[in-house]
Amino acid sequence: MCTKPDMIPKCLWLIVLVGLCITGNLSLDCNLLNVHLRRVTLQNLRLLSSMSNSFPRECLKENKDFELPQEILSHTQTVKRGLREAFYEVSIQAFHIFSQYTFEPTWKLKHLNQIQMGLDKQLEYLEQCLQEEENENADVKEAAMKYSGAQGPQVHNLELRRYFNKMHNFLKEKKYSHCAWDIVQVEIRRCIYYFYQFTALLRRK
Amino acid sequence: MHLSQNALDIKSLNLILMVVISLVFGVSPDWTESSNEACISKMTLRNFRSILSWELKNLSIVPTHYSLSYTVMSRDEDMKTVADCTNIKRSFCDLTGVWEDIHEIYLTLVEGFRGNMLLVNCTRPFMPAMDISFEPPEFEIVGFTDHINVLVKFPLVTEEGLQFDLSLIIEEESEGIVKKHEPKIKENTSGDITYVIDKLIPNTNYCVSVYLDSKDQDTVIKSPVKCTFLHPGQESEASESAKIGGIIILFLMAAFLTSTIVILKRIGYICLRNNFPKALNFHNFSVWIPKLPPCEAMDLVEVISINRKKKVWDYSYDDESDSDNETSPRTSGVGYTMHGLTGRPLSQASASSATSVESQSTDPDSSDQPDLPEAHAELPVIPAHSPWQLEHISEPYERRESPLQDPFSEDSSSTEQSGDRIIFNVDLNSVLMRVPNDDDNNDNDSDNSEEDPLMLLSLPEETVDPEDPHTMESSLLLASGEGTQPTCPSSSSECVWPEDAPSDKSDAVESDADFGDGYVMR
Repeated sequence: MCTKPDMIPKCLWLIVLVGLCITGNLSLDCNLLNVHLRRVTLQNLRLLSSMSNSFPRECLKENKDFELPQEILSHTQTVKRGLREAFYEVSIQAFHIFSQYTFEPTWKLKHLNQIQMGLDKQLEYLEQCLQEEENENADVKEAAMKYSGAQGPQVHNLELRRYFNKMHNFLKEKKYSHCAWDIVQVEIRRCIYYFYQFTALLRRK
Repeated sequence: MHLSQNALDIKSLNLILMVVISLVFGVSPDWTESSNEACISKMTLRNFRSILSWELKNLSIVPTHYSLSYTVMSRDEDMKTVADCTNIKRSFCDLTGVWEDIHEIYLTLVEGFRGNMLLVNCTRPFMPAMDISFEPPEFEIVGFTDHINVLVKFPLVTEEGLQFDLSLIIEEESEGIVKKHEPKIKENTSGDITYVIDKLIPNTNYCVSVYLDSKDQDTVIKSPVKCTFLHPGQESEASESAKIGGIIILFLMAAFLTSTIVILKRIGYICLRNNFPKALNFHNFSVWIPKLPPCEAMDLVEVISINRKKKVWDYSYDDESDSDNETSPRTSGVGYTMHGLTGRPLSQASASSATSVESQSTDPDSSDQPDLPEAHAELPVIPAHSPWQLEHISEPYERRESPLQDPFSEDSSSTEQSGDRIIFNVDLNSVLMRVPNDDDNNDNDSDNSEEDPLMLLSLPEETVDPEDPHTMESSLLLASGEGTQPTCPSSSSECVWPEDAPSDKSDAVESDADFGDGYVMR
């Protein structure tokens, strides 16, 4: 189509438009990015559901409560930035855990790669929004941190890291068995879904 | 060279463009699940009830009954059996009200038995918020000229259980064009809802389907399509049928009214016939006023108080006495002197004729029982043929003519028609007056006096000193419709009537009439 000499300018226009679309996508407003974030997160959740559609009965005895820090969201839901930072921490920790998965069958590996790609997308959208907010509210943030006395996002991130370290230790303890991976997959799915609900708050605010 | 190089560049750009587009818009991966489970479990919302169903992959050996149990993944708890889904033959279980949190992950265990032998067991984690599928509700459509009514059936009562954020979507498709309608449904809506798809093109075929949409799910289950053709120029079917129904109802009502009127008329309930028998024809019938019986003759009676000197008996038995012309009245055993009076009105036709009554006090000498005080009084004279009327006597006294007679008088000549006075001695302490009957009066028979009606007259309590011959006492006895009349005081001077006091009249006019036993003692 674009091989004819008279069609080259038209194709170039098309490419330019696409390029602009890409660059524009990267600099989208956070509200619009939240839409993409929500969509990507939902896809990851469906992938995780498909991966954990079966659960051996014998693995039930190895089940463990990793104590998801739900109270974080009660503090951060009123602060958009804190919610984004917490979600960013969850995404990056989950990405690190899934990067250690090396088990068969193939279809599971394929799903897992797609999950990692999706988590990468989540991180990308969150980074853009956090960067924009940081540039716009640098002074306000500093003052809020200085005078409010409230716990900053760093404390919440530590709790989330502690939560994911439990899963890391559980896998090591169970020697990365199938049952341990199935239990961790279910737990990560539950955690991501928990944050997925609050992405609606990011879109409304 | 330049052209081929340009072509390569263009091809590479196209490739990059396609990759970028695919990255931007995303490509949904293949979500086909591969599992080595013996059965496939799925959860659906059917009529707003959470139903967990399972299907065996290997049908070589089919279990006879199943049992379902579950646990919450985030909690360190044992499996819980569902009471209603233990040893069941069906391959589904109603979990409405069993699971409460849609964001939790529930691990379900389905065990298939054949007898006591476990044939198959399936475990599946479920997150109701994401893993449940929503079956579309039932619906009906009614097509009109330019709009379609869609009736979606919802249950009247929704049990509390898993709460989902759902939207009802109605799809309208015509000639390849699909439009979505989302009726707003309130949270507490129950029962069927009707949605109108308007602004449609007549003479066009439209197909409608409904489904429930959740923001957390991409896949939906659409209902079977229902189509209708909108005929042009056709008023709404419902309105046409309503018109026809209305016309039929009006016709039936008119027929009913007509038949009712005809029946009532034939019965005679309305429009009464006038062909009455002559005997019942009262049109020219004059009002008949019954003739009242002639009024009884009534006479007015005037009581004349006459003061007489009391005659004291000097215990002489002379044959000739001054006042012996009068017969001694009969006395009763109790010391009363009975007098009888007869009279007749002056005129029968005149009901208002009044008669005057004169009475003279008796001579005290002529009384049979001198020890008893006697009162001089007047008695009203009662005509024989008519009820008496005792008229109030007002001064001056007016004497009227009255053919009164004392039935007990022996001297009839002095009483009958000769004058209007009757002289007799009366015991004022008890004055009884008896109205003789008409027959008796005609016969002047004293024996019939007991049948006469009695008239009780009240008298003042006056005592008479028997020693005082001059004690006069008069009492005026009147009884009339106006009430009792004042009595004259004992002092005679005040009661001296202007008329000549018939003191010369003897006291002989005394009747020996017997009043009989009809007296009322005072």
